[in-house]
Amino acid sequence: MLLVLLSFSCSSNLDFDQVNDFKLEPVFIANLTYFEIPANQFIENGMEQNIAFDTQEFDMFRDSFFRKNLRRADFFFEINNTINRSYSIDIILLDENDQPLYRVHFDVPAYSGTQKLVTRTEIFENATLDLLKRAKRMGFVITMGAGPALNANSPGSLKLRSSATAYLVVE
Amino acid sequence: MRKVFLLFMVLVSVGCLSQNKQILYNFTAVPQSLMTNPGADVSYKFYFGVPLLSGISVNAGSTSFSAYDLFADNGVNYNTKLRDVVHRSSRNDKLAFNEQIELFSGGFKLGDWLENKGYISFGMYQEFDFMMFMPKDIAILALEGNRDYLGKSFNLGDLSLRTEMLSVLHVGFHKNITEKLILGGRAKIYSSAFNASSTKNSGYVYTIPATNTVYEQVIYSDLQLNTSGISEYIAEGYEGDAVGDIRKKTLFGGDLGLGFDLGLTYYPKKNIQFTASILDVGFIKHSKDVETLTYRGYYKYEGINPNFTGANTSGSTYQQFVDAIPRDTIYSAYKTWRPIKINSSYQYSFNDSRGGADCNCTVSESEYRNAVGGQLFVMSTPRAPMMALTGYYRRNILDKLQMKATYTVDSYSFKNIGLGMSSRLGAFNVYLMADNLLEYKDLAKAHSLSFQFGFNFIFKETNSPY
Repeated sequence: MLLVLLSFSCSSNLDFDQVNDFKLEPVFIANLTYFEIPANQFIENGMEQNIAFDTQEFDMFRDSFFRKNLRRADFFFEINNTINRSYSIDIILLDENDQPLYRVHFDVPAYSGTQKLVTRTEIFENATLDLLKRAKRMGFVITMGAGPALNANSPGSLKLRSSATAYLVVE
Repeated sequence: MRKVFLLFMVLVSVGCLSQNKQILYNFTAVPQSLMTNPGADVSYKFYFGVPLLSGISVNAGSTSFSAYDLFADNGVNYNTKLRDVVHRSSRNDKLAFNEQIELFSGGFKLGDWLENKGYISFGMYQEFDFMMFMPKDIAILALEGNRDYLGKSFNLGDLSLRTEMLSVLHVGFHKNITEKLILGGRAKIYSSAFNASSTKNSGYVYTIPATNTVYEQVIYSDLQLNTSGISEYIAEGYEGDAVGDIRKKTLFGGDLGLGFDLGLTYYPKKNIQFTASILDVGFIKHSKDVETLTYRGYYKYEGINPNFTGANTSGSTYQQFVDAIPRDTIYSAYKTWRPIKINSSYQYSFNDSRGGADCNCTVSESEYRNAVGGQLFVMSTPRAPMMALTGYYRRNILDKLQMKATYTVDSYSFKNIGLGMSSRLGAFNVYLMADNLLEYKDLAKAHSLSFQFGFNFIFKETNSPY
């Protein structure tokens, strides 16, 4: 009976080699970094601090799967300054010896009553992506420009938020 | 990665399991029907199966897609097909595979030819089970990422699978309690060579727009994978013969468990028959080579937050994540329950003009040539139970040739036609059953297939002592 059955049966052509074309191309979005500095934090002991800086670990690429399959990364930044002073912000990617690999520079105008967002998208591909993959730390340097003096009651803040879009290709 | 995927595809393309043996059930010409109802109306003086060939059954199925959907040679990009399959499926779609081989089987009647002391049947079979629900949300996340799904909560509970290799040693007994009622039971000892189950998962991942950070991103995870008998084979540096080792462990030295089957056949009238059975009520205690992996925790990812006021705090986000949702390995024993199966049938028998009412049948064997009936099958799964409804027609074509045709409706198909036959040549019995016959038109598009066959020697009860 089985033979009879099989002799009547047939099968559409299948091509199992197609598995070799298997390719995942997921695109992930994630937070990258954020901070908000109120105006009064630029005052210390009654004196204006014109430079603020910090470095943080940047270990996105500790995961070898991610490091191997990342093809492109977009970093999106948005800065909202509501302090009556101008700023320049540098975000610096550092390698394991704390040597700068890549720098993103922003000039942020002083607040004059209307919101003025500073936005930027940095695209890392090919050579810049290789730099990004070597990054171990992220440095932040904020320099305050000249302008009307701040005091402990000055309103406003300097706010930055940013996200990353990661394009992976897994074959 | 590709290897893992290939393995997955092999499992998937082989298919899916329902373990419904709707043709074998209550097909009492075949002693193996006792395995689907220990109270089946089967009589014999004694029988034994041809070792390794007395009962071979394979079930495969997929509720959402066929091999054709994934591997059709039609020029459509493979990744497009894969994506289509994932999007078309639901989280309740199942993939399953079940295979059973009887190593030996036999049975004999207790007492003398006129006595009614009941029948013993016994045997041992090896079984492989694989069952998995479609992990839809996780598949979408892996295939496409989260960029286009802002606001969607991905359900980690979609992950649900279990697989097991075991052998079952069993002894059953059935007896005509009255002329109208047959009761039977079967005790089983399970020996599990390996088991992996991950069925009680929950959790979610979501990304929604936020104010202070660009997104609010949360992962909550309560995932658990129980394994036994596997860790040594997947450990690095293993150089043994895994197949040989597993085979040895299936027979001896696996994790032991106990279970039972119960069943009955009842004739309210001579030509009306009702049967019911419950199978594999039992558990296995996994204690050898046990590993339980868990990922439990909650993590809200905000990104790097520099601190300009001095103290260097936040540290590594990678480490934060690993600390928040740690991977734990537990080495304590765990218990698994066998999937419980329930069968029931109602049958009406009749003779037609061709029928020979004067057959030389034994007391309990039907003297009717034709029977029609309905069957219900229910099996427990980690989620909603699986069900199947079958209508059937059975006919004794000749004294030594019986056939049964079935029409089954279940979650795999609404038009599953099956056919089984059993034939005797002297004491030699051959049976063969296959379902989803319509799918044989194009096997590549089949959603499920199953067949059973086997060879026995059956020595019938006679009405005379010799």
